[in-house]
Amino acid sequence: MQQESVMTIAHLYKSFGNNHVLIDFNLNLFKGENVVVLGRSGSGKSVLIKCIIGLLKPDKGDIVVFNESIGKMGEVELDKVRARVGFLFQSNALYDSMTVRQNLEFPLRRHWLAVTQDAVNKMVMEALEDVGLAHTIEMMPVELSGGMRKRIALARTLILKPDIILYDEPTTGLDSITGNEIISLMIDIQKKYNTSALIISHDMNCVRRASDRVVVLYEGTCYAAGTYADLLLNEDPKVKQFFEQAIK
Amino acid sequence: MIKESINNIKLGAFVLAGLIFIILLLYLIGKNQHLFGASFILKVRVDNVQGLRPGNNVRYAGIDVGTVKKLNIINDQMIEIEMVIDQKVQSIIKKNATVSIKTDGLVGNKVLEIVGAKIPALPVKNGDLLTPKKSIDTDEMLRTLSKTNNDLAFITDNLKITVTRINNSKALWNLLNDETIPQHVKQSAKNIQDITNKANNMANHLQIMVQNIQSGKGTLGKIIADTVIAANLNSTILSIQLISKHADSLTQQLSRTIQGIEKSIINGPGAIHALFNDTVFSNHINNSLQNIQNGTDGFNQNMEALKHNFLFRGYFNKLEKEKRKLNK
Amino acid sequence: MHQSTPLQLFLAEVGQIARFAGKFLLQWFKPRYEFAEFIRQCFIIGYQSLPLVGLTGFIMGLVLTLQLRPSMVDYGVESQLPAIVGIAIVREIGPVITALIFAGKIGSRIGAELGSMKVTEQIDAMEVSGTNPFKYLVVTRVLAAICMLPVLAILSDAISLYGAYLGVNIKGSTSFRLFWMLVVDNLAFNDVLPAFIKTFFFGFAVGVIGCYKGYNSKKGTEGVGQSANSAVVISSVVIFIIDLLAVQITDFLGFN
Repeated sequence: MQQESVMTIAHLYKSFGNNHVLIDFNLNLFKGENVVVLGRSGSGKSVLIKCIIGLLKPDKGDIVVFNESIGKMGEVELDKVRARVGFLFQSNALYDSMTVRQNLEFPLRRHWLAVTQDAVNKMVMEALEDVGLAHTIEMMPVELSGGMRKRIALARTLILKPDIILYDEPTTGLDSITGNEIISLMIDIQKKYNTSALIISHDMNCVRRASDRVVVLYEGTCYAAGTYADLLLNEDPKVKQFFEQAIK
Repeated sequence: MIKESINNIKLGAFVLAGLIFIILLLYLIGKNQHLFGASFILKVRVDNVQGLRPGNNVRYAGIDVGTVKKLNIINDQMIEIEMVIDQKVQSIIKKNATVSIKTDGLVGNKVLEIVGAKIPALPVKNGDLLTPKKSIDTDEMLRTLSKTNNDLAFITDNLKITVTRINNSKALWNLLNDETIPQHVKQSAKNIQDITNKANNMANHLQIMVQNIQSGKGTLGKIIADTVIAANLNSTILSIQLISKHADSLTQQLSRTIQGIEKSIINGPGAIHALFNDTVFSNHINNSLQNIQNGTDGFNQNMEALKHNFLFRGYFNKLEKEKRKLNK
Repeated sequence: MHQSTPLQLFLAEVGQIARFAGKFLLQWFKPRYEFAEFIRQCFIIGYQSLPLVGLTGFIMGLVLTLQLRPSMVDYGVESQLPAIVGIAIVREIGPVITALIFAGKIGSRIGAELGSMKVTEQIDAMEVSGTNPFKYLVVTRVLAAICMLPVLAILSDAISLYGAYLGVNIKGSTSFRLFWMLVVDNLAFNDVLPAFIKTFFFGFAVGVIGCYKGYNSKKGTEGVGQSANSAVVISSVVIFIIDLLAVQITDFLGFN
């Protein structure tokens, strides 16, 4: 594949006390590609993407996003990168004290991407229509169902028109039908905006449908990699663990 | 958006209300302390401020016209009180006004009271020094009152005893019946008076001496070392004793005289009316009695003071011991 | 793992709070300024606390007056009731009761709010959205607490004094003007200003401790509850400690 690399993770180390979460982790993400990082709970997947977005500082190693190293950035540069990297939180992280509209406006105003109220309104509506929830604009997050909240959170991520979206377990906590809807949305968005995505998941349905490439994270390191079909044939017992469920 | 602006209005009203209240409170307190508005300074120098503090009120004719600003210690005998006075009363307070420190009620705060004099004078100027007036300190007043009470009780006691004695003395009544003796009695009384006067004088001298010793703290060492003074004192005391012996013999004489009178009374008829009319005589007797009283009182007090003066405590202790020895 | 003694844990906590407060002091004056959020927090923290603070203040003033009255009558200084109550309210009861109510209402609110935001990753989301959450959440709330508690305390004083006025008039009769004159006459700047200044520190304590507890909330809903609870407990204790220090300092400076 002759593709432009948007993100490179090289020799990443991260530990909390004596708990070594990431040990020499390497990953390349290309433009327009969906990569799923597969791993068991507590295997350090969330830590990985929090390092990418600068919420956690890696102990060692380098993360290069759009040809710039995250580790050497100050707050201002980091914010510029964050404006181009969307992050969908596992718990949605919608601001409880704000309406849906304010939730969506928040990152826009924060990153100074839209100045006039008209422009802001237009972008908010566009993002809501992308997730099919335009009617909820004046509602509070608590009034929404789990699936709706996930979609609003996605809209809030999308509103910045990011080049990379980081999904932290997008289908966890949702029923399979709603989960499928979300996965479909993710695929649609990828097609519509030609974004790259790094998806953290252990939901095999999600892995199967959304992935261009799968990386298995095991004991802090990149244990196996390949397409879904490749890995399905992998005989390694560690890898098989994940895929056996999927076959069932 | 509309809701937000309403909230902002509410917040603004809330904060303003708080600010207005604190400013109002501070302003009223400041106004009470005459910190705002035109004012001028008056001063007064006293030897004791009696617990007056900066911030205490200054009154003129019972109206608060200012506050005490500062207390400056000029020297060990003098403290200058600086007061801030409302400009409005400048023309009313005259240069010859006097200032005294008073208490607001029986247990209240101290206040400084400016009292105008009846004599006309020019109005005060900024920074003028007014004259202080010795005010009645409640403490001192109560102290004096208590002493007066004690004295009064003592006097009435003595008076009672005297009156009883007079009442019970047959000799006196007999004496009063006699017509011929007044001259003798008068003479004797005069003698007693002289003697008691002398005793009184002596006692006064002694008192002054004791006071001198007591106040001369700086030269205490000298006095202790100076045996001459001690000797003098000794001799003084001896002479006092002598005088009191004199007085003793005099009274004995008097009693003998009275006995004589008694005899003569048996011989002659009484002339009570004559004696009773002679107010001068009775006054004399009264005076004499009082003088004796005073003399002995003063003497008693002096002796008491001497005993308590530590310089002589040793001496009196010694006397005491000797007395005890003799008694044994 | 090394097992820490309770004393060590306590000292560690104190150190953490001090660091947090230090971070606030370093950050609050630096841009970017979250002015709109600050105003919003002022509204929530200040204005919306007024009914509660006002009610407690009113009752305190009334009850204090009624409780003091018999003793004052015994000593024959009933006419000084407004003066005594005025000094008590302005110097101590107004600021401290207001601060305690404030700690209960606002400390728990901030602790729970930031705690749940922490737990549901909203704080992370903010950081990702190009916002310094410390400035957006902590600085605005602490500043709002610092600015609003004095206002609340002052209004509470006013309401308390009104309560005291009613209390005086339940069994006696004093005109409002005379009551007010008696109160003001017996107050000095020395009474008002130290009491006023210490409310800023009370506000600071409540804000910082609430934010610290919320910001460092442990995972799960239990963690949020704990944050809210310990925010109230610790800030209440700290209010008394500050009060103790304030009285020592004003005494030391000769303001008594």
